[in-house]
Amino acid sequence: MSFSFRARQIWIVARLQLGRVFFSKRSFWVYLLALFPSVIFIGHGIEAKIRRERLGRRVVMPAAIEAVREGDTDEQVLARLGRPNADNTSSRRRRGKGGEPQANEIVRRYMQYFDGARRWELNFEAGILQSKRSHQLLDFEGDRQVFAGVFQYFYLRLAIFFGCLGIFMNLFRGEMLDRTLHFWFLAPARREVLLAGKYAAGLIAAVLIFTGGAALAFIAMVWPHDAAQAQAFWQTQGPSHLFWYSAAAALGCVGYGSVFLAAGLLLRNPIIPAITILSWESINGILPAVLQKLSVLYYVQSLCPVPAPLDEKAPLLIRLLSAPAEPPSAALAVLGLLGVTAVVLLAASRAVRRLEVSYSVD
Amino acid sequence: MTAPEVVFDGVSKFYGEVLGVNRITLRIPSGITSLVGPNGSGKTTLMNMMAGLIFPDCGSVTVRGLSPRDPERLMRITGYATQYDAAPRGSTGFDFVLTGLLLAGYPERDAAARAGIALDRVRMTEAAHRKVAAYSKGMRQRVRLAQAIAHDPEVLILDEPLNGLDPLVRAETIALFREFAAQGRHVILSSHVLGEVDLISDQVILIANGMIVAEGEIRGVREEIHEHPSQYLIRCRDASRIASLLFEQDHVTEIKVQDDRLGLMVMTRSRSEFSRALTRISLAGHTVDSVVAADENMDALYEYLIGGDR
Repeated sequence: MSFSFRARQIWIVARLQLGRVFFSKRSFWVYLLALFPSVIFIGHGIEAKIRRERLGRRVVMPAAIEAVREGDTDEQVLARLGRPNADNTSSRRRRGKGGEPQANEIVRRYMQYFDGARRWELNFEAGILQSKRSHQLLDFEGDRQVFAGVFQYFYLRLAIFFGCLGIFMNLFRGEMLDRTLHFWFLAPARREVLLAGKYAAGLIAAVLIFTGGAALAFIAMVWPHDAAQAQAFWQTQGPSHLFWYSAAAALGCVGYGSVFLAAGLLLRNPIIPAITILSWESINGILPAVLQKLSVLYYVQSLCPVPAPLDEKAPLLIRLLSAPAEPPSAALAVLGLLGVTAVVLLAASRAVRRLEVSYSVD
Repeated sequence: MTAPEVVFDGVSKFYGEVLGVNRITLRIPSGITSLVGPNGSGKTTLMNMMAGLIFPDCGSVTVRGLSPRDPERLMRITGYATQYDAAPRGSTGFDFVLTGLLLAGYPERDAAARAGIALDRVRMTEAAHRKVAAYSKGMRQRVRLAQAIAHDPEVLILDEPLNGLDPLVRAETIALFREFAAQGRHVILSSHVLGEVDLISDQVILIANGMIVAEGEIRGVREEIHEHPSQYLIRCRDASRIASLLFEQDHVTEIKVQDDRLGLMVMTRSRSEFSRALTRISLAGHTVDSVVAADENMDALYEYLIGGDR
């Protein structure tokens, strides 16, 4: 049989399988996982746009607000900057050492101004400016860090992981449960061809869903930012970051897909491989260097263009488990992942040759 | 050139600790062969082993010289209609048949033509483009048969193929099996209904508890149990008179007149002598409306062969 004949068989299997992967009831939560970050970033963007529009009704010159100094009175500030976006006053009685009330009352005033990019918070006590703080309405660098964190801690470790579990484990196991697997096994095709066709279908679906989800979330992260800032980003690092995040998502699907395809052939209960592989991936950062290479996460994390932020205040165990392993180069990561995938698929092809269809004992 | 036999050589299969089949040695020649046995006796296990859906724990199976571990070659000469719906979700009957042909390597146009012919042979042309999920039980049975015969296989394996078919389609399906068998092919089917098997089979394999109880031509199997009387139900107008005439025959061991006095249940040790005696009675002017073999069913046969211990 020629290569083109086998390729045609693989495509016939994949084409039929694609409908099942994309539109089965089991796929619903895969879409939820893939789109969750996009929903978060789109929500964040909409909220920022609404806030900017509301605050933008009264904009002060940045130089004017920067000229305001601690010690200025509220009347002076109002005279220089005009009406603030927010103006709240509160009063509190001071208490003595024994808790008995004192005669003098402290009047506090809070004013908020907006200079087109930053929100300024002015706090007065007894009419005197005590503190002046500014916050970027949208912090581009901060949002990129948040995206990196969401992508690496949620998207790669959980969304793609469980999404691939749902898609690839069901390629054989789902058909065993539906009692339709024998249709494929009774076809005049090698079992390895069926495996390749099913893997191709799962991969096409997973890559489209999760790469699409990652790209959408990335674009949603950039979208609410200042147009000039966003344009500058798209003209410099933006396309490269988008490419590498998408590549990491796609390669995550390649790697996890092969692992769960093989697991679906060997085990009927998806919980066992899910827990085992998730545990293995979680402790990857603290494993010896040789064992780190037997992990999908090890390779795909290396492809991420922005390192995930790590909270120094988090407990040591959490920091250890979240810490990425020593990253290989991008080329090595891609080759390494493809190598691991090839080994797993080879093992899966041996398992599929031995697989028996016996519904009555399921 | 492939060997024209399906061979089981010392085959055993266990599902965990549950016995599937035990030390089966069989040579099935071409023609129509029925595997007969009660549920759980091992019929489907044997069929699944022939098609490579399961593999023996020990022993070997060959289908016309091919190993079931080589589906690419085996399924080119084999069609298997299982008892389960096999169509991928959402597919029409036509798609279901077509996909198998495309996987077999037929060009798109040839495959479509063959699928059309196969569906026509099982009278499914009109419903071909409806979803399999919307088919009745009989239609599903027919579309599975169409898929099994579409590539013109040398070996046709059919699990309970006549279940759910109406009498007309049943007759046509049996004619189809005969046509296949007449061309020197294997038609191997399973059934619970011995009467049906007797009607269509060249040979029968009786299986119980994972073991072969009897095999060979159905009459030969019947002869193996000659010491046990056969049972017939006769419907007639003059039951008492016919009963007394029959009771004069040596081979008749027992007669029960039915409550409506229009029927008799007769036990005989010789089917042929019983047939001759009944002919004589009819020729003597006694009206016999019908004669039905009342014990040619699985239960009766199993009682004969394995003492009712099933």
